Amino acid sequence: MEKFDKAFSSKPLAWPRGKQWALAGVVGSGNLEVLFERNAKAPEKMDCHVESSIPGYKDSWLAALGDFAANYPVGGTKVTIHDQGADPIVVTFRLRQAYDHLKKAP
Amino acid sequence: MPPAPKDTRRRNKAERMRRVGALAKGKFVSAKSAPEVLKRIIEPGDILCLEGDNQKQADFLANQLATLTKKDLRDIHLVMSCLTLPAHIELFKKGLIRQVDFCYAGPQGQAVAQLLAEGKFPIGAIHTYNEIYARYYVDLTPRVALIAAVQADRKGNLFLAANAEDTPAIVEPTAVSDGIVFAQVNEIVDTLPRIDIPADQVDLIVEAPYPMHLTALFTRDPAAITDVQILMAMIALRGIYQKYEVQSLNHGVGFNTAAIELLLPTYGEQLGLKGKICQYWVANPLPTMIPAIESGWVKGWFGFGGEVGMERYTAARSDIFSTGRDGSFHSNRAMGQLAGHYGVDMFIGATLQIDVNGNSSTVSKKRITGFGGAPNMGCQPMGRRHPTKAWLKAGAESNPGPGSIPGRKLVVQLAETFQSGRVPTFVEELDAQDPAIKKALHGVAPVMIYGDDVTHVVTEEGIANLAACRTNEERRAAIRGVAGYTPVGLKRKKSETNDLRSRGILQLPEDLGVSPSDVSRSLLAAQDIKGLVRWSGGLYDPPAQFVDW
Repeated sequence: MEKFDKAFSSKPLAWPRGKQWALAGVVGSGNLEVLFERNAKAPEKMDCHVESSIPGYKDSWLAALGDFAANYPVGGTKVTIHDQGADPIVVTFRLRQAYDHLKKAP
Repeated sequence: MPPAPKDTRRRNKAERMRRVGALAKGKFVSAKSAPEVLKRIIEPGDILCLEGDNQKQADFLANQLATLTKKDLRDIHLVMSCLTLPAHIELFKKGLIRQVDFCYAGPQGQAVAQLLAEGKFPIGAIHTYNEIYARYYVDLTPRVALIAAVQADRKGNLFLAANAEDTPAIVEPTAVSDGIVFAQVNEIVDTLPRIDIPADQVDLIVEAPYPMHLTALFTRDPAAITDVQILMAMIALRGIYQKYEVQSLNHGVGFNTAAIELLLPTYGEQLGLKGKICQYWVANPLPTMIPAIESGWVKGWFGFGGEVGMERYTAARSDIFSTGRDGSFHSNRAMGQLAGHYGVDMFIGATLQIDVNGNSSTVSKKRITGFGGAPNMGCQPMGRRHPTKAWLKAGAESNPGPGSIPGRKLVVQLAETFQSGRVPTFVEELDAQDPAIKKALHGVAPVMIYGDDVTHVVTEEGIANLAACRTNEERRAAIRGVAGYTPVGLKRKKSETNDLRSRGILQLPEDLGVSPSDVSRSLLAAQDIKGLVRWSGGLYDPPAQFVDW
């Protein structure tokens, strides 16, 4: 079990009137769940909470989340990830999916 | 000085056939006497060809050969496409083989690595398919070839059905050099549906007690295609197929290309690509192409081999598939490889490892596999002269200077950044470069596709256009740019990737108008094997292991 919190600096979300939250993926073997929630308290932070069933990949998580915060305006969000052994490639994929859903009108 | 050669080879063949004597009635020998016949026709020092590729096996004859001992059989130079069966490995364990020249050892890869470590696997070279066929005509001509056919008639003509595969490429060089062609057949009949190999080129025939082994290698269940593979398929369709207007191509085995095939009638149709791309195919009859074929995407198809279960479907679609006079599918591996080398716009394939320079390999220290056909197609055909849109467009990107080669074949590596079990696909150095492996191969690392031949690397992160890179440093930066969170990817520099992206050398999904949130399994034209059967109008007969209804 790996469990950690980390906040990344990011430009504020560019879609103020979108959904309040968005979910992608499911918690299941080889998969993971990403929950994006709006967080008005910290408009320039992507505040992440990660729980993974597989320990030892914190560096990869930090790199993937750090890139995401740098590549997209995701400030003002809370990201909660529940991972059950998803391949690293699924992580970025689900992040992008949840992020895209968040942009859509409620 | 030894005397100049005259016709000793012919007289030697006659002597071998005389030794078979009463064991043969005409050309026909009984299954029981097959091991004794093998003893009498093979001599020490022979080049012996055993038919076997990634699908079809002369398994009865291989099993009989494996019953022989050093007393009967020794100092053999084995030449073959694929080491696939336990019987093949047995020959090495018994120490009967002096040298082996081959292409591929998929299912026996671990056994080969083990034999190599024990010093019991004396390799000449690992070849590509057409490379070894070429040598059958030059310096590796078999004295004896053990082959497999579906049927023989009483004269000794052979019918190969859908899986001709390597047979013609083995039989001709053997037959025209006074070698002995010994065929196992599933059955002997009065009249063949069609003649694939003339009796003239066949010396001995045995009716095997069981039908030859055939593997359903090209069947992929749509149910197992993942969301990430669908994303990659969308990236490839927009960034390569659409951009270059790829008309003629090869797809191999793999879920990534299966995803592309199943997106053609849905996503491809939405993009307006029907009739503009993917009309001519050089590939085994891929069941996952049935929806696209039924939707009118395909004009022509030639196969290296058949695919189990596609017999009735291909016969019923003879406008598209190559068929014999009898109406059933006709394949030819050597000609298919030739077509895939010179005749197509694009080769797109998967691999297990790609290094930072774009070289790829499926060899690891624990599994010595090899190549098969990929390198024959996944390379630049320097003898090509005919232009197509895709060839010219890729050429213009790649060779902007005056006097340079005007075109370029698209050679695309399609791979997820990680294999299952979190094993990174991208590595700084290939396992194939292992000193012990290189030593066994006389200094040549078993690289499947050379980075110099690759035009594009596609991953779930995007596309790296290697052909458009101007320096080796740029090429490495482009590869790191699509290598995700592998150790190779983590070394990328933001300034370099931003520069490559601004020049279109690196394209992320959003640069191609592809969004992960558009990914849905509902885009697959068929959800499972049953869906493929339905699309085929009941003409596709999936092998038992794929049927769960």
